[in-house]
Amino acid sequence: MVAPCIRIAGLGKRYRLSHQHRVDSLKGWLTSLAFRRLDSFGPDSDYEEFWALRNVSIEVEPGQFLALIGRNGSGKSTLLKILSRIIPPSEGSIQIQGRTASLLEVGTGFHPELTGRENIFLNGTMLGCPIAVVRSRFDSIVEFSGIERFIDTPVKHYSSGMYVRLAYAIAAHVDAEILVIDEVLAVGDAEFQEKCLKHVEALVSNGRTCILVSHALEQIRRMATHVAWMEQGKLREFSQSVSGVLDRYSESCRLT
Amino acid sequence: MPKESQQQREWRKIDGKPVGFLAYCRELIEYREVAYVLIGRDLIIRFRHTYFGLAWLLFKPLMLMATMTFAFGHLAGFAKEGAVPYPLIIFCGVIPWYFFSNAVPDGMGTLSWHMHIIQKTYFPRALFPLTAITSDAVEFLVAWLLFAATCVWFRFVPDWRAIFFPLFCIQLYLLCVGIGLGLSVVNVRFRDISNLVPFLLSIGFLLSPVGYTLDRVPEDWQLLYVFNPMVGIIEGLRWSLLSHDLHAFPRDAVLASAGVTAIIGWGGTQTFLKHELDLVDLA
Repeated sequence: MVAPCIRIAGLGKRYRLSHQHRVDSLKGWLTSLAFRRLDSFGPDSDYEEFWALRNVSIEVEPGQFLALIGRNGSGKSTLLKILSRIIPPSEGSIQIQGRTASLLEVGTGFHPELTGRENIFLNGTMLGCPIAVVRSRFDSIVEFSGIERFIDTPVKHYSSGMYVRLAYAIAAHVDAEILVIDEVLAVGDAEFQEKCLKHVEALVSNGRTCILVSHALEQIRRMATHVAWMEQGKLREFSQSVSGVLDRYSESCRLT
Repeated sequence: MPKESQQQREWRKIDGKPVGFLAYCRELIEYREVAYVLIGRDLIIRFRHTYFGLAWLLFKPLMLMATMTFAFGHLAGFAKEGAVPYPLIIFCGVIPWYFFSNAVPDGMGTLSWHMHIIQKTYFPRALFPLTAITSDAVEFLVAWLLFAATCVWFRFVPDWRAIFFPLFCIQLYLLCVGIGLGLSVVNVRFRDISNLVPFLLSIGFLLSPVGYTLDRVPEDWQLLYVFNPMVGIIEGLRWSLLSHDLHAFPRDAVLASAGVTAIIGWGGTQTFLKHELDLVDLA
């Protein structure tokens, strides 16, 4: 029994669905100040509460490959965003031990005006990797991404596949203990997807941790050590018996 | 791959509570290499696609100085015979003002401009306004070369009071940081503040002693006037660099300005820390 490196406890994220036109301008805000309430800097007063995530508790140990499954809007991406510190939770907490590298959606933190080369340095340091280390791994990052020819082209001219290739290549080389991947890999071609998953497998068997959102159930069945099934913001199942959960999940998808 | 023992690594807690000032500073230091990359990138982008490149750095303050010497010194007749050369007086106003009027909108806009990065990767978000303002500060420091060259031209030598020059520069930097941090958060929520700020800056230009000196302001008005923090900074710079019988130490202006800077710096930082976490939700 290894000590967990991620402890998610009672995590919840609340949004307020406004039923009024959102106050977006200073003028609107000042008017609402005058006529309604004083703290409308936040969302409007006429709203409905919506929990994108509620009561989620998961513990992940080093060396686990956790796959998150669930339909669109079930809270998978919200969970990853909180885990990556992009948005704060409304209740509960996460404790993490170790550096986290996240790949959320396409274009992970690239600056469009900068070339691929410059973005490797910007993104690498943002993921907590010292400049010197990025420099020493530069060639290997470029090789992994397979976009040598375009490395001095501004990334605004890249295709979405090239974006993901470069983004993954960087994240793979920063030695993060925890790798968080949203559906991005689906954008790459089959060959690159395979390459990434092989790479993740190697990392995981080396004691790193990976959390992946995916709809590619067959890949999950092959590689994941654990699976978490999310439904309407709640954790429906969390188990080590990946196949069992996947079978029940595909069954429920067929039924409705 | 390196295998460190699990116990050595620190636990990080994510619970949606804002961190304190010191904890945040520690995090900024941890991520300092991102700042190096961002500042280097800022400076590269600014001059990569321009024909004259670095010459722009010096050209703009020089033209401002020449225009203002003409408008205020000659047309308005503020230039005095025998005193310090008027171009030097103007430079001490134009260089800090030029920095201020760039740094405030730059710092304010950075979070909105980089929202696509903020939505994808975490790192202390204050790095964006801070690096934008610091890039402007680099330009600001380079612009003083013009001042030095003009001193040589007029055979003018500042005296010992020049040792106070860095203090006023630091104060100016802190003022820009306070305003930039505070407004950058407001700008994420209310975009139309970016229409308001350039307008306020053009008013502030005339209400700051850029093209004239503090002693031109009627004494009855000075008490109010000095609460513009730029007054104390510009007059302080003039006192430290031009000293020679221009006027005595501008005590009231410097004190009022230091006080206002401290309040703005504290307020801006607190506003930022309070909303740093939910920036993505605010947008």
